[in-house]
Amino acid sequence: IGRAGAMAAAMVAAAGGGDFSDLREIKKQLLSVAERSRERGLQHSGKWAAELAFALEPLPLSELPPPPVLTEEDARDLDAYTLAKSYFDLKEYDRAAYFLQGCKSQKAYFLYMYSRYLSGEKKKDDETVDSLGPLEKGQVKNEALRELRVELSKKHKAQELDGFGLYLYGVVLRKLDLVKEAIDVFVEAAHALPLHWGAWLELCNLITDKEMLKFLSLPDTWMKEFFLAHIYTELQLIEEALQKYQSLIDAGFSKSTYIISQIAVAYHNIRDIDKALSIFNELRKQDPYRIENMDTFSNLLYVRSMKPELSYLAHNLCEIDKYRVETCCVIGNYYSLRSQHEKAALYFQRALKLNPRYLGAWTLMGHEYMEMKNTSAAIQAYRHAIEVNKRDYRAWYGLGQTYEILKMPFYCLYYYRRAHQLRPNDSRMLVALGECYEKLNQLVEAKKCYWRAYAVGDVEKMALVKLAKLHEQLNESEQAAQCYIKYIQDIYSCGEVVEHLEVSTAFRYLAQYYFKCKLWDEASACAQKCCAFNDTREEGKALLRQILQLRNQGETSSTDVAAPFFLPASLSASNTPTRRVSPLNLSSVTP
Amino acid sequence: MASVHDSLYFNPMLTNGVVHANVFGVRDWVTPHKMALLVLLSELGRAGAQLGLLERRRLNRLLLPLLQGPDMALSRLRKAIEECCPHLAGSVHIRLKLMAEGELKDMEQFFDDLSDSFSGTEPEVHKTSVVGLFLRHMILAYNKLSFSQVYKLYTALQQYFQKDEKKDGADESEMELTNPEELDGKMEKEELDGPLREEEMACSGPLSQKQAEYFLSQQASLLKNDETKALAPASLQKELNNLLKFNPDFAEAHYLSYLNSLRVQDVFSSTHSLLHYFDRLILTGAESKSNGDEGYGRSLRYAALNLAALHCRFGHYQQAELALQEAIRIAQESNDHVCLQHCLSWLYILEQKIFDSCVLLEHSVNKSLHFGLPYLASLGIQSLVQQRAFAGKAANKLMDALKDSDLLHWKHSLSELIDISIAQKTAIWRLYGRSTMALQQAQTLLSMNSLEAVNVGVQQNNTESFAVVLCHLAELHAEQGYFAAASEILKHLKERFPPNSQHAQLWMLFDQKIQFERAMNDGRYHVADSLVAGITALNSIEGVYRKAIVLKAQNQMSEAHKLLQKLLIHCQKIKNTEMVIRVLLSIAELYWRSSCHTIALPVLLQALALAREYSLQYLASETVLNLAFSQLILGIPEQALNILHMAIEPVLAHGAVLDKGCAMFLVAKCQVASAASYTPQKKIEALESAILNLNEAKTYFAKVDCKEQLRDVLYFQARLFHTLGKTQERNKCAMLFRQLHQELPAHGVPLINAFK
Repeated sequence: IGRAGAMAAAMVAAAGGGDFSDLREIKKQLLSVAERSRERGLQHSGKWAAELAFALEPLPLSELPPPPVLTEEDARDLDAYTLAKSYFDLKEYDRAAYFLQGCKSQKAYFLYMYSRYLSGEKKKDDETVDSLGPLEKGQVKNEALRELRVELSKKHKAQELDGFGLYLYGVVLRKLDLVKEAIDVFVEAAHALPLHWGAWLELCNLITDKEMLKFLSLPDTWMKEFFLAHIYTELQLIEEALQKYQSLIDAGFSKSTYIISQIAVAYHNIRDIDKALSIFNELRKQDPYRIENMDTFSNLLYVRSMKPELSYLAHNLCEIDKYRVETCCVIGNYYSLRSQHEKAALYFQRALKLNPRYLGAWTLMGHEYMEMKNTSAAIQAYRHAIEVNKRDYRAWYGLGQTYEILKMPFYCLYYYRRAHQLRPNDSRMLVALGECYEKLNQLVEAKKCYWRAYAVGDVEKMALVKLAKLHEQLNESEQAAQCYIKYIQDIYSCGEVVEHLEVSTAFRYLAQYYFKCKLWDEASACAQKCCAFNDTREEGKALLRQILQLRNQGETSSTDVAAPFFLPASLSASNTPTRRVSPLNLSSVTP
Repeated sequence: MASVHDSLYFNPMLTNGVVHANVFGVRDWVTPHKMALLVLLSELGRAGAQLGLLERRRLNRLLLPLLQGPDMALSRLRKAIEECCPHLAGSVHIRLKLMAEGELKDMEQFFDDLSDSFSGTEPEVHKTSVVGLFLRHMILAYNKLSFSQVYKLYTALQQYFQKDEKKDGADESEMELTNPEELDGKMEKEELDGPLREEEMACSGPLSQKQAEYFLSQQASLLKNDETKALAPASLQKELNNLLKFNPDFAEAHYLSYLNSLRVQDVFSSTHSLLHYFDRLILTGAESKSNGDEGYGRSLRYAALNLAALHCRFGHYQQAELALQEAIRIAQESNDHVCLQHCLSWLYILEQKIFDSCVLLEHSVNKSLHFGLPYLASLGIQSLVQQRAFAGKAANKLMDALKDSDLLHWKHSLSELIDISIAQKTAIWRLYGRSTMALQQAQTLLSMNSLEAVNVGVQQNNTESFAVVLCHLAELHAEQGYFAAASEILKHLKERFPPNSQHAQLWMLFDQKIQFERAMNDGRYHVADSLVAGITALNSIEGVYRKAIVLKAQNQMSEAHKLLQKLLIHCQKIKNTEMVIRVLLSIAELYWRSSCHTIALPVLLQALALAREYSLQYLASETVLNLAFSQLILGIPEQALNILHMAIEPVLAHGAVLDKGCAMFLVAKCQVASAASYTPQKKIEALESAILNLNEAKTYFAKVDCKEQLRDVLYFQARLFHTLGKTQERNKCAMLFRQLHQELPAHGVPLINAFK
């Protein structure tokens, strides 16, 4: 034990600092931890470390990490371990545990406990199928957990657990819903063995907000950077996450498929679709048989309606492994894009059968039912998604949409508000909220929502037009004009040549507005713009004629300096969008 | 990694993407507890005629709650049986022991034998009886089990039995523990057991569908009828969470959770639960194919309507209106007149909060009658009567309307509405100032046997009507000077309606009002002043009025006047006639206190006219008293005496003790004043009758402990005795006066000028 502990301590020291100056050292550490994880049957952590190690330059023979030193105890347990490990690999957990009884070495002991844990989990899953009654379902427990906790806590008190042991203890605690204790133990595990990614990942799942993150004392190693980047993505702090990942790439991990996929997911989360798509394409080139994260990729393809690409992806994944949640999800998206919603729903159901905790599928299924106009089933699906994860804003938004379709604008306010709470800076929820308020004739609230949607960065660029129209309705022509101006600026500044229907409306309004204000130059400029659009051409021409007429009459008096293109001085001062966002103060008291 | 194994999880309840709660079609399944019950039943059958009649009856009474209730530990079950029949408990225990300590085949044999009880020419159990149904359910559920499930059931039975054994032995083994190491181990064990044991206390296991339904309906009816008997909000919520954990599709639990959150005024979780309930309900509505899409649309309408009700309950009237509009629109689109009727009633309630209008209500009553909704109709009639009463419509017509709607209630056995109707009559009689009638109605309600009592065995007694009636009762008693009785009633109210419950505000207001009156009577104005804040919080108008009264009593006339004028304008705007009259009276009092009787007169006349118009008899008589007093001061005591005859009768019949005293005192004063012009003989007679009246006033004042008034009466009496030359009586009065005078500080207003 002593030697293993010393070794772990040495590794901590080597890993310290959070700097990436010695990539060779890092590579060595990764390789060795991958090996050690594999020895203990922790395949996912091993895979992660190996993937990361693969991204670094290969080491010359002389620098390869030496095979782990065997202690006296290891040697004594070697036979039992070798036998048990092969049983373990064949998923005969009870058998493995039986032969490992009484082993003292760290490795064998971990495998012993881990086999018992997995055996309990497996039995639990098997029993779920034939429990005595439906209500008992929630009651099925991993019977081994309590015993494991007792034994591990004894060892923990005696400080006899190494990093892997602590990790297992943490997992047991989490399964027993002892979240606080679990977090402490995982932090301890991360300190004892910072290289073990599993412990970090479990921490990610347990930390729910930024505040919690602040109060954790984490080991200061380069692994922490990966952890922080990951958790920022989870907590939707995309900016910070992207920064972290960028610095990791700069440090030399540019080839890591893990980092690339995480960046792609991050871009997906902030709906920067083009960037995300290009990164995913890059990822596919590097790792063509990858299935992880491909569901996200398919979502992006879906949003952009890229049918051939999606179809190719679906076929490809189906060839690789058709019984994977991600594959089902991609196929579901594919059918959905082809408007075969029944089939799409079927595939999402299959994904759920493969893993009922895969919440994305519940939400997507909800969307499919919405397409099929089966609102009640959609509501059910969304509700399930919320039950799995209360923070799933898409499901709340979907519920809101469902009720909006059922023409219950007041009722759906609650759902949109929930979605908005979860994504305060997402303009879509705000626009949806604004539309509902508009339908309820609560124009003041609606204005607040639209303005806020614009202020947080409007994705669909519709908030300003809607706001302008509201102002128009309320006869607040000044504000309406301002909104239209900002709208036009926005459209032109983003450089997209996407035909926006509302541009013509904006120009028409502005032309008339300037006309009323007797700002002839601006009015005629706008009217000319109107002529470029089919639906406003006639009006534009008529207005131009009128302006000409009036100008000729008042030629003598109009000597004022021509203002720049549709930006009168009075407005240009205030039209730089002050994106300072005041708290959204909706008058309603409801939750 | 651990999460990998989650993928092994397979959810058989999932078909077509929608989870069905009842996919197995099994509402019940076999548990060890149920097996113990089965053993009990079979033992019962075997014992047959040997059981005494009494024991048999006791057992039969025990059976139903056992069959319906949640699973319980064996020891508790045994105790319950032992209480009925110790002999049977022993044999049940032995049978279970044999089964648990035997082999699997014993259990199988047991179930095989069970079905025998139906066979034969004269079966022990009828197939359709409660017990028969239970037996058949169990046999069916058992036969459906797969091998591994049967084995699991058997191990569960063994554990169930062993746990009981262990508990028996626990007392002895605990004593033997001396080894410190063992103690340590035990501690750890206990620490681990800790959270679990607590759970066991709350709920001894998952409930089956049937048990859950029973639990929910029981709690819901308790919440409706007698909140104090239901589980405390926190523990009920815990139970519900437990229930929902095992079966998230049990929509009714969400509804109960909504009701429970309402109890503690938690707007967030109640909204959450309500919406969750309807989200779930929509599924079940869609499932019932009999009415196709209709059932589903129906729940949507009622969802919106319930949301409106929720917002209304929390005082978000604007939100409520929006929700209601939505409900109305959807209901109109689908031609659901019944739902529309409900909406209309709610609309009325909301409109009432914003502005008055009877048109809606009349319409609602007509329509409800047309669609055969007696509940809504008579609720409408009651609201209408209430409004008309405030608007001063003829009393006989109102009472007629109430009587007619009462007929409806009795016909349809709407006991809740009967209660409301009686409470309303109490309130109306009080409004009119007929306290004896009010008292009689209040007592009627309290001593009436509720219709529900016959059916459910739960007295319906935490409804609003009971709160109203009890509050009135307390105030009536306080008015008559029975303060002990009043506080007793209030204490009862506090028990019945705990401070966080819905109707608690009612008694809080009345409690403070009574305290205020007492403080004013005793002249403890600072105490009264401190109560004003509390009253204002519950009822702002009342609070302002009381504040003005305190100011008046403290001789801060101009402030009081300012406040009263403001209040007057406000009350005239919201058409609160009762308060207008009371304010007018107070203003008049302010005037005559500042010796401006001529200004007071028109104010009083205005008050009198209003009181007559709205048939507020008691306020009218009070106005007359004030009027008479003004006339007395203005030097026309004969006229004063004349009009006093009008007022004295209702005051003595229905008035508060204090008012009675004041009235008698005033009569005496008028008699003395008018006697000045009489012949000596007649004068003596008049003075003597005045002394008698003063005696009466004295007893009244003594009842409510008004020392100041008592002192004034004594002084007056002493003067009268002096005039009549009765020295002894005079001295006695003078002495009493002296005693009181030393106790009390002298007030600034000259004696003759004060009427109250």
